[in-house]
Amino acid sequence: MPYHEFECSKCIPERKQHAVIKGPGEQLTDALPQGYLNTIPGTISERGCAYCGAKHVIGTPMKDVIHLSHGPVGCTYDTWQTKRYLSDNDNFQLKYTFASDMKEKHVVFGAEGMLKQNIIEAFKAFPHIKRMTIYQTCATALIGDDLHAVAQEVMDELPDVDIFVCNSPGFRGPSQSGGHHTICIAWFKEKVGTFEPVREGEYIINYVGEYNIQGDQYIMEDFFERMGITVNSTFTGNGSYDDLRAMHRAHLNVLECARSSEYLCNELRVKYGIPRLDIDGFGFKPLGDSLKKVALFFGIEDRAQKIIDEETARWQPELDWYKARLQDKKVCLWPGGSKLWHWAHCIHEEMGVKVVSVYTKFGHQGDMEKGIARVEEGALAIDDPNELEGLEAMETLQPDIIFTGKRPGEVAKKIRVPYLNAHGYHNGPWKGWEGWVRFARDIYNAIYSPMHKLSKLDISKDEIPTTIGFETQRMLSDVNLSDEIKNNKELREYTGKWDCTRDLIKKPAPRSDEPQLAIAA
Amino acid sequence: MDEALMKERVEQMVDVIMKNCLWQFHSRAWDRRDQNEGILTKTMQLLCDERVVLETPADRCYWVDAVWLADEYRARFDWLSGLSKDDIKVLMKALHERMDFLMIDGSLNLELTDQHY
Amino acid sequence: MFCELKEKSRVGTINPIFTCQPCGAQFASIGIRDSIGIVHGGQGCVMFVRLLISQHLKESFELASSSVHEEGAVFGATRRVEEAVDVLLMRYPHVRVVPIISTCSTEIIGDDIDGVCNKLNEGLLKEKYADREVHLIPIHTPSFIGSMISGYDLAVRDFVKFFARKGEPNGKINLITGWVNPADVTAMKHLLAEMQVDATVLFEIEAFDAPLMPEGNHVAHGDTTVEDLIGTANAVGTIALNRYEGMKAAKYLENEFGVPAIIGPTPIGIRNTDTFLAHLKALTGKPIPQSLVEERGRAIDAITDVAHMFLADKKVAIFGAPDLVIGLAQFCLDMEMRPVLLLLGDDNSSYGDDPRIKELQEHVDFDMEIITNADLWELDRRLKDGMELDLILGHSKGRFVSIDNKVPMLRVGFPTYDRAGMFRHPVLGYAGATWLAEQIANTIFTDMEYKGIREWSLNVW
Repeated sequence: MPYHEFECSKCIPERKQHAVIKGPGEQLTDALPQGYLNTIPGTISERGCAYCGAKHVIGTPMKDVIHLSHGPVGCTYDTWQTKRYLSDNDNFQLKYTFASDMKEKHVVFGAEGMLKQNIIEAFKAFPHIKRMTIYQTCATALIGDDLHAVAQEVMDELPDVDIFVCNSPGFRGPSQSGGHHTICIAWFKEKVGTFEPVREGEYIINYVGEYNIQGDQYIMEDFFERMGITVNSTFTGNGSYDDLRAMHRAHLNVLECARSSEYLCNELRVKYGIPRLDIDGFGFKPLGDSLKKVALFFGIEDRAQKIIDEETARWQPELDWYKARLQDKKVCLWPGGSKLWHWAHCIHEEMGVKVVSVYTKFGHQGDMEKGIARVEEGALAIDDPNELEGLEAMETLQPDIIFTGKRPGEVAKKIRVPYLNAHGYHNGPWKGWEGWVRFARDIYNAIYSPMHKLSKLDISKDEIPTTIGFETQRMLSDVNLSDEIKNNKELREYTGKWDCTRDLIKKPAPRSDEPQLAIAA
Repeated sequence: MDEALMKERVEQMVDVIMKNCLWQFHSRAWDRRDQNEGILTKTMQLLCDERVVLETPADRCYWVDAVWLADEYRARFDWLSGLSKDDIKVLMKALHERMDFLMIDGSLNLELTDQHY
Repeated sequence: MFCELKEKSRVGTINPIFTCQPCGAQFASIGIRDSIGIVHGGQGCVMFVRLLISQHLKESFELASSSVHEEGAVFGATRRVEEAVDVLLMRYPHVRVVPIISTCSTEIIGDDIDGVCNKLNEGLLKEKYADREVHLIPIHTPSFIGSMISGYDLAVRDFVKFFARKGEPNGKINLITGWVNPADVTAMKHLLAEMQVDATVLFEIEAFDAPLMPEGNHVAHGDTTVEDLIGTANAVGTIALNRYEGMKAAKYLENEFGVPAIIGPTPIGIRNTDTFLAHLKALTGKPIPQSLVEERGRAIDAITDVAHMFLADKKVAIFGAPDLVIGLAQFCLDMEMRPVLLLLGDDNSSYGDDPRIKELQEHVDFDMEIITNADLWELDRRLKDGMELDLILGHSKGRFVSIDNKVPMLRVGFPTYDRAGMFRHPVLGYAGATWLAEQIANTIFTDMEYKGIREWSLNVW
């Protein structure tokens, strides 16, 4: 597995250790990119910081918590309304964010006093919320504020509130992953075991490393419930603070995004003997196999099989419709961390696309091991990519589509590569059988956009096709398709609803059926 | 089974694990060793129709991954049904050694030796 | 007195209106051609600002980080800046301008970015990049002072201060736009062109609205050049459209080079645009042409269509950048609306000295509150407590205040990521006045229809 040297990075030789091409017959022991090392300054890396890893990725999806960042206002503002983690608590966690708003005088004289005032103000503003997480930031870490002491003082004064402190300043670690680690360990040490569960059941799991992007958690919880399995807590998408304090009472930890939260499962295994079962929530077969494993653990595998049979019968014809039209389309699978291995094999097998590159923005070597193990030969694997390397890779690989973040998606757009949001999704959820079809549909609609085709026409040089008034996606996708597939009556396009999770949300948002009020131009 | 054939079959079996499973990728060397031991031993027992001990939650968790793997091997590899139990044991032992090498002893993952999670 | 100016009483912030200073410096730096800023701090300080700007403009902009990690935070991280400059220059051969933008963390640990720039100028740049013109500009933007607004103001001042050099008079005026959208620059350049006034625009950001080209690889970037910045010292005068986003630079040029400075008023609405033209005329002696009389007439015609029938007496809350908020409030008053609540999102102690705010305090004849150091909870809470509003003017971070309280909101300012293409429409000049009046009306119309409030009245309008 040869290391891959980017032309644009020849002047920074240490980058060579961060990319490999998976060669025929090669194993992980032949070559593995370096990972999770300090970023080379000035590369225009895509990484974020450990504060956002803790607060934005893991902390904030908790739905019944005041999320207060202790520091200047920017950290709070910047990590607010840039993700799509939903909850059935009227999306409180999306709508409200709290900053202690540290100013210069606090840097000089300390900010503990004003932090206490902040906490009390916040609880007063939202009297129905009794739980809080306080996130340290670079500034308050450097001046040495004791967040724990302040939190304890408030808890002593207000016995009905509970406060969790997360000391994960932005500089702690090479990437946001440092923050994942810090918050997991802190939650385990300080909160797990301090509350007894409210839910009962014969079969009890914690669903860990699931952030309810566009409703993924609703889908998965529904499957578990249909099998008679109680989801004691979800860490942390649509998760409840107190449920997560009761994680010690589950029989099994079902782990989805190991990158962000395996630490927690490992500690729970060591201290409470709760086993860790890693699963895939994406892809028909990986998801079906995962549900079967969870069910088998409890001896109820027939219940999983029932779901698999029903869901497959309902959705396979639709997935296959897209699969037939996505054959051999080249994909750059460039997410943050876990999706590079969750998706690498099953988008190939189940949608027919070819993964030509994987990357991880903030992951570790362990993520690369999984991703490289699952991709096909010839794929280019990149750790901590930067702007120029991304461009060079796209120019070399000529992908038909790229799955990445919003901003890198804009870069791709300009070189005429359609993008899907790997973090927040386009039209998710993408978990579950229906979700997987929605993913396929999003890929299809991106690749076969008539506008995408028009973007490649140079009206100053090319012949302009003047007799065509319009094209549909299907006119473009079916052009080289066999009649057998084109006329196959078994296959069909996606037939679900635009919002497919509405029926699963237990407490519907108050204004769920009203149209958008403010529609400006 | 000659050595070349065994090696080929071990690689096929490794490939199924690498392509589909996640259990071998725990983040620390000691966990990887436990996972390999727990799951591959139980897979061997299942393939040899031996009794599988399911006393602890950990046993059950290894077992569910082992059941998946044994089923997958039976479905994919016709040659498996032609092997004697002793042959399967030898093969599984070789697989176990290979997985220990790939995931632990020969691994280039520098985090495996971290002392903490 | 009806109009009350006061600071938010809570110490903390619930749903902030602004982000912090480094964001402002970053937004200014992308306006300069061949410039890539290095933000000296944690990676999030860049990553999220890039995301924010790309959410607003649907473009990606290049900004680098010194990637300060734990060792740097403990032992000092100036070495990270040195490395970042070298790596950036090696890989981006066109780069001429590299602002080094500090953050809260690197200000607290006391990293001397001025010293680093000197060291690099004497060392690395002379040794390794001797044949290349590279300007390193330290910009101090600790996040615990001011806001993104003051960060922008500081950065524009620092760029001007760094480059401006006395030479031959160039006959131009300096137009410092403040933090605006590409369409605002277009609108202002249109007025300048009609007046036949040659200007240096800080910053030329029309290209932020970048095309998707058949050959690909078209990167959005500002077009203000180093030469433009050098020449600012030789202008006839400076007009800073915004008091809080450009006044510092204008005053610097006035004090240092005797270039007369005119500050504001922000040309939002008919009256303020008139004043802008009057200032142009005074500075250059050029007459206001018939074409602008007609353009103004078309704008007033459009506004008259909606103002006294639909907009009169409607109660409005406005939040966002101070010059925008104040300008919009003035324009709303001219359209017979009642801006009852203005939220200014930072603790700038000079708001009370703003002549426009003084004028409001003197003449407003209904109850109006102006809250400084404000957050969005100030608005949200008032609505939950029963305040009645017909309209909100503000940016996308306030979207849930609008949605949950069922008050329609027209997106203005930065960022406006939850509506398509807002950056393509001006709020400045006569064009901006027309657009604002019509979009305010349309927003109210849509609300009338969904709520069933006098929706039939539009049958014959």
